[in-house]
Amino acid sequence: MDPTFIRNFSIIAHIDHGKSTLADRLLEVTGALSQREMMEQVLDSMDLERERGITIKAHAVRLNYKGDDGQDYQLNLIDTPGHVDFTYEVSRSLQACEGALLVVDASQGVEAQTLANTYLALGHNLEIIPVINKIDLPSAEPDRIREQIEHVIGLDAGGAILASAKQGTGIHEILEAVVHMVPPPTGDPEAPLRALVFDSWFDPYRGVITLLRIVDGRIRVGQEVRLWSNGKVYEVEGLGYQSPKPVPCEELSAGEAGFMMANIKTVSDAQIGDTVTDDKHPAAEPLPGFQEIKPMVFAGLYPVESHEHGRLREALEKLRLNDSAFNFEPENSVALGFGFRCGFLGLLHLEIVQERLEREFEIDLITTAPGVRYRVTTRGGDVIEVDNPTRFPNPADIEQIEEPIIDATVITREEYLGEILKLLEEKRGTQKKFEYIGTGRVLLTYELPLNEIVLDFYDRLKSASRGYASLDYHLAGHRDSPMVKLDVLVAGDPVDALSMIVHREFAYDRGKALIERLRKLIPRQMFEVALQAAIGSKIIARENIPAIRKNVIAKCYGGDITRKRKLLEKQKEGKRRMKRVGRVEIPQEAFLAVLKVGEES
Amino acid sequence: MPGVYISYPFCAQKCTYCNFASGVLPAELEGRYLDALEQEIARHPWRWTPESVYLGGGTPSRLPPADLERILAGVPGKPWTEATIEAAPGGITAELAAGWRRAGITRVSLGVQSFVEEELRLTGRKHTAEIVEREIAILRGVGIEDINIDLIAGLAAQSLDSWFASIDWIERLQPPHVSVYMLEVDEDSRLGLEILREGPRYGAARVPDEEQVAEFYEAAVRELAGLGLARYEISNFAKPGHESRHNLKYWRLEPYAGFGVDAHSFDGGIRWQNTDEVREYVSGRGVVVERQRARESERFWVGLRLTEGVRARPADLARHAEAIERLKQNRLLEQEGDLLRLTPRGVLLSNEVFQEFL
Repeated sequence: MDPTFIRNFSIIAHIDHGKSTLADRLLEVTGALSQREMMEQVLDSMDLERERGITIKAHAVRLNYKGDDGQDYQLNLIDTPGHVDFTYEVSRSLQACEGALLVVDASQGVEAQTLANTYLALGHNLEIIPVINKIDLPSAEPDRIREQIEHVIGLDAGGAILASAKQGTGIHEILEAVVHMVPPPTGDPEAPLRALVFDSWFDPYRGVITLLRIVDGRIRVGQEVRLWSNGKVYEVEGLGYQSPKPVPCEELSAGEAGFMMANIKTVSDAQIGDTVTDDKHPAAEPLPGFQEIKPMVFAGLYPVESHEHGRLREALEKLRLNDSAFNFEPENSVALGFGFRCGFLGLLHLEIVQERLEREFEIDLITTAPGVRYRVTTRGGDVIEVDNPTRFPNPADIEQIEEPIIDATVITREEYLGEILKLLEEKRGTQKKFEYIGTGRVLLTYELPLNEIVLDFYDRLKSASRGYASLDYHLAGHRDSPMVKLDVLVAGDPVDALSMIVHREFAYDRGKALIERLRKLIPRQMFEVALQAAIGSKIIARENIPAIRKNVIAKCYGGDITRKRKLLEKQKEGKRRMKRVGRVEIPQEAFLAVLKVGEES
Repeated sequence: MPGVYISYPFCAQKCTYCNFASGVLPAELEGRYLDALEQEIARHPWRWTPESVYLGGGTPSRLPPADLERILAGVPGKPWTEATIEAAPGGITAELAAGWRRAGITRVSLGVQSFVEEELRLTGRKHTAEIVEREIAILRGVGIEDINIDLIAGLAAQSLDSWFASIDWIERLQPPHVSVYMLEVDEDSRLGLEILREGPRYGAARVPDEEQVAEFYEAAVRELAGLGLARYEISNFAKPGHESRHNLKYWRLEPYAGFGVDAHSFDGGIRWQNTDEVREYVSGRGVVVERQRARESERFWVGLRLTEGVRARPADLARHAEAIERLKQNRLLEQEGDLLRLTPRGVLLSNEVFQEFL
């Protein structure tokens, strides 16, 4: 198609501000889906996405739209995830667009995540179309929100479209605005092929499928193409676009987005950000790629049943095919046996991987407390990166420890400010900015150690603000910090999976709280069990779990042997799900206790 | 020789600790229930003659003697070697006791639970120690000497002192059989549920802890032995020759036939159980709700409840060798040749032992 009539755009919105509903509405109005085919939130195809109301993977959907000017347009809606953990996905998708709809809830207003993504879009020179959604709600205040968009983001919101995706109002205006405000793509269809890989995933039947945005030239079925980064050459076996169902086509040309199948065996061969060019007539320069994404949060994943180690590895490998953002390597724990150290983009990402493993692969998991990657300088002058407490060097060998620091933006209503400031202080935050944005709302910028975020920060922020405060953050460097390794000894044996790295000032309180929590979680054993928290060889807290005194079924009701057997079987099954460390049976929840200690300290 | 169990689920009130399929039910159901029960017994193909009968509940002592006779008339083998009726103290008269005798009852099991007023009040029971004393005299007066008293360790407001007060009453009343149960905390009883929810009702906040209940039980074992009541099963104590023949069948895997709501049966190979819904039972359709072959492993975990222990076959010893060794090391099990027995410590931790033999 003539690029003049193509528009590539995405939607930026905070979770729950109605992005998915709006996307569905656009599909419906442009006839991509009949009303009968409409299912809530069509684009979120994974069960998990639909259940949690979040988008994890990017999508590119082609909409055919006849404008009021009588012209047929091809609109490509490039959908992006909305959670802070997946900022990198947003950034990738934005690079495939010329414009974005900024969707803001008419009563909630601008949130931290929206702000961050809008700046990201502006950084890519995208045309932003503000849309104030949910104007049908009684609490809607479009004028206030308009003012907020102008004040906080610095965007002219005079022409903001008032919409209710739920009721279908404003949809036509949005489509017209996309046609008239978003610039057409600038690429040259006659130039040598340059296509940007902005997502790729593995399909068990068709191999690797790559999502492409054609920047220059054309790509055709049968063409020999070359991947810039590794020089590998493939024959294009199939092309198509999503509408939203996959529609095969013979050719994609400059300005268009679609998918390619080329018998690529692994996702790592079709790296996101790579450039696809013609093998015979390659372009002179590749497209600017993406920054490699690095995991920020690390945790150990272990199978409850040690013989499932092999299955867990296979499952992780399969997940990794479609999720290049997470990585894993084998790890061995004295307490938990063989497992994997995994790196994630954030806590949500971790939870999603964990849930998919348990649900799609049916593997019972034990997850150790998430932590971050420290930079440790040894006395010998070596600099090592440590993301696993068990690999933490001996304190005597440590010259300096640096921890990752983030810049966090929090937007909240004024009334929750007190609680939130307290929380930020407690989490070792340093205030950098305090700004009133519109009536009753405050934007805070804080420097915070990442390690404080991964424990329970997000949950506590939500509960301190009744769910209203929003958070965005990005890595801002490292800072010298007095961190220590806190160990837990159960019946005298150190349980490596319970170790954690904490700030020296918090070590005593955390240790005490952790031990108290473990005392409640570990059931009584056949003998008394001592629980100790230690830093190096120094014991800082101690509790005892007394020996079990009785576990007996007294009554036999009229010879009901079956009931007794079921009770015994239930007890036995409960034990089977525990991990035996030395002589002590430790339930799975105990390994997550580390997560919750912040609340009590 | 097999036994017969007959269930009568009706009660004057539902006790706070009770987690059985019994309780206060509409009076009109009572008549229909007896008819259904009579028919179920009549339908039974008696391939053997029972030597023991056990009327449990519920509160079978509420049955008028005429109805009791009608029900028992269908059970062959009268006079039975042992015929027990469970009774709630507080309604036993000389007439009633004489009626029981006529019906063939030889043994009465009294659901006393406690002799301490405050503890009884919190369970919802209405009797007193004096009433129990009087009614035992009535039973003995009509010639019923085989009397059991049930006690529960772990009731709300119980202390070591009050527990000894109840045991003192055992000494005074000299029953030849005592059962000591430990309170089961689960969602099926009002008290259990309240304890799990950490609520205040029924004295749930004043229930002794695991440590104390274990102590009460151990004290009972010691004191009752001193009174000549030896422990022959985890919860049962008797003077020599007064062990419950019927209850022993459960532990020795001998057959029994159960009639009535939630009654359980075992023919030596198959176990089955009746519905626990009275309305379903009286409808007469599909009384049996679960039927399955008894497991080989039962021999161990059921039999080990008895003080006499279990004789293991060489194959069993080989199969469970590792578990037996571990349990012996933990001082939970003792072995004399092919005989396996729980140690005193193993009794209180018997579930830990039994799980190994499942």
